[in-house]
Amino acid sequence: MKSLAGFLLAGLVLSAVAFMLGSYQTDVYRKLLLWITLALGYNFLFGIAGQVAFSHFTFYGIGAYAMVILLFQVGLPLPLAIVAGIVVCVVLALVVAIPATRLEGFYLALATLAFAQLFIVVLNEGGSVTGGPGGLANYRLPDILGVRVTGPWYTVVIVFLLLGTLAVLWRLDRSWFGRACRAVRDDPQAAQAMGINIRTTRIVAYAVTSALAGVAGMVYAFVDNTVNPPIFGLENAFLLLFMVIVGGSGRPAGAIVGAILLYLLPFFLSPLIGHHHALVFGVVMVAVVLFQPKGLIGIWDGWMTRRRAA
Amino acid sequence: MNARGRQPGHGDKAVASTQARPLLVARGLAKQFGGLQAVADLDLDVHEGEILGVIGPNGAGKSTTFNMIAGALEPTQGTLVFDGEDLTGLPAHAMAGRGIMRTFQHNKPFASMTVRENVMVGMHRRLKGSLWRVLLAGAGVVRAEREAVRRADELVSFVGLGDWHDADVDTLSFGQGRLLEIARALAAEPRLILFDEPAAGLTPAECERLTDIIRQIARQGIAVLLIEHDMRFLMGLADRVVVLNFGRKIAQGTPAEIRADPAVVEAYLGNVGAMADA
Repeated sequence: MKSLAGFLLAGLVLSAVAFMLGSYQTDVYRKLLLWITLALGYNFLFGIAGQVAFSHFTFYGIGAYAMVILLFQVGLPLPLAIVAGIVVCVVLALVVAIPATRLEGFYLALATLAFAQLFIVVLNEGGSVTGGPGGLANYRLPDILGVRVTGPWYTVVIVFLLLGTLAVLWRLDRSWFGRACRAVRDDPQAAQAMGINIRTTRIVAYAVTSALAGVAGMVYAFVDNTVNPPIFGLENAFLLLFMVIVGGSGRPAGAIVGAILLYLLPFFLSPLIGHHHALVFGVVMVAVVLFQPKGLIGIWDGWMTRRRAA
Repeated sequence: MNARGRQPGHGDKAVASTQARPLLVARGLAKQFGGLQAVADLDLDVHEGEILGVIGPNGAGKSTTFNMIAGALEPTQGTLVFDGEDLTGLPAHAMAGRGIMRTFQHNKPFASMTVRENVMVGMHRRLKGSLWRVLLAGAGVVRAEREAVRRADELVSFVGLGDWHDADVDTLSFGQGRLLEIARALAAEPRLILFDEPAAGLTPAECERLTDIIRQIARQGIAVLLIEHDMRFLMGLADRVVVLNFGRKIAQGTPAEIRADPAVVEAYLGNVGAMADA
């Protein structure tokens, strides 16, 4: 009950903010919410299930492209396009996961990197279906029951996406499944001795988080109203990884902090030091990995423990 | 030995249970690694509520046997029948799923979790179900989770880690870690527990406590299979003992019979002291 009230309050506050912003701020705000959504999902995959996969952002792209193609090339109505888009993401996730989860650590990373690269190639070479290097543009969200959802109201849709994703991951994390994922990450052999099927656990964790990224991508498709290959490149896949690591991997609160910090950092730094902000970025990254492997949330935990001890 | 004192009637129960159908029946179990015959033609029965000890010199095939029953190794030959079901060659998680749990000689806790959470992982086979029901947070799922926490705390107290529910596992001593291994295995409500050298690395006081816990486990009707180096510990605890040497069973019987068996004394010739001690 308490957590439900918390969710409702967060939904109200985050939605209210949407109605106070100008158009530039709205764009920044929407993308921030989307980054947080992605970071939460990736935190489950990387931080909790322990899978070093670089395909999370790719599924964001697959969701976005699937949405646009299904709606405007195939001509499906919106509800059907949403369902079909999720199916596409889950099927592709299984295609990657079933062979890739046999692999561990380094090799899973390589396989998913290759998949991410392959996706960009397919986008560029996809002809009229994907729009090639220029991507797809000049479309807009179909009316929902005769209503055109735009402006702050579409931002509210993104707030729902964020909270929905958070709720799904929250439930999973606090269940036998979340414990199984952590157990497989901590010690696969012991996990197996507890009756946990390692492969199934890995595949399900990968498919569920990939599908969540795909849904986020579907929502994103109508944020910029254009999808093109550079948006879904590896740079953003790595940014996502950095967000989770800097925030504190394995902790949803860490993913949120990391996403907010790393997404907003350039906005504050580039007016001051121009393009050198990438340098600050790198330094922050190295510093965190060296001195604070538990991420920024680890610093907070340290404070709390000390306060309780005092 | 007698000073350790067996429970009154405990031996009687073991005799009675040997007449019932064994819970685990291994027949002709064999494992070959390349040219090495690690275990050959091994027959083994374990009954409910019985403590069966397996001993043997280094390289006798104890661990290989253990790992075949736990599902960590696939037998080259032979069958493993558990409660009437043929489980030969199933993977470890399938064995655990049927109530065959194990502990590890070198403790293997889940390092990122608290003591309570570790024990709750042990409940996997009973808690797992549909992910949709988890997402919808139905009353049944919420109740099961609350019950799991309560049961975990109970088990943590049972093994004697009462004040450590919320502790990170890296704050436990080695002996406490062993107790956690046992609580985690019990959480599955197992029908058979395999102990891999449970006394290794424990202080005498901890061994005493361990003996007590294992006896209580068997008294609940759970079958116990112990692989042990420490003869004194094993002989004081087991209802029956199986002796392996060079991958073959060379003797089986009560601890008293085993101590008197010339083949066993022969196998342990370099270790007469250990036999006399036990």
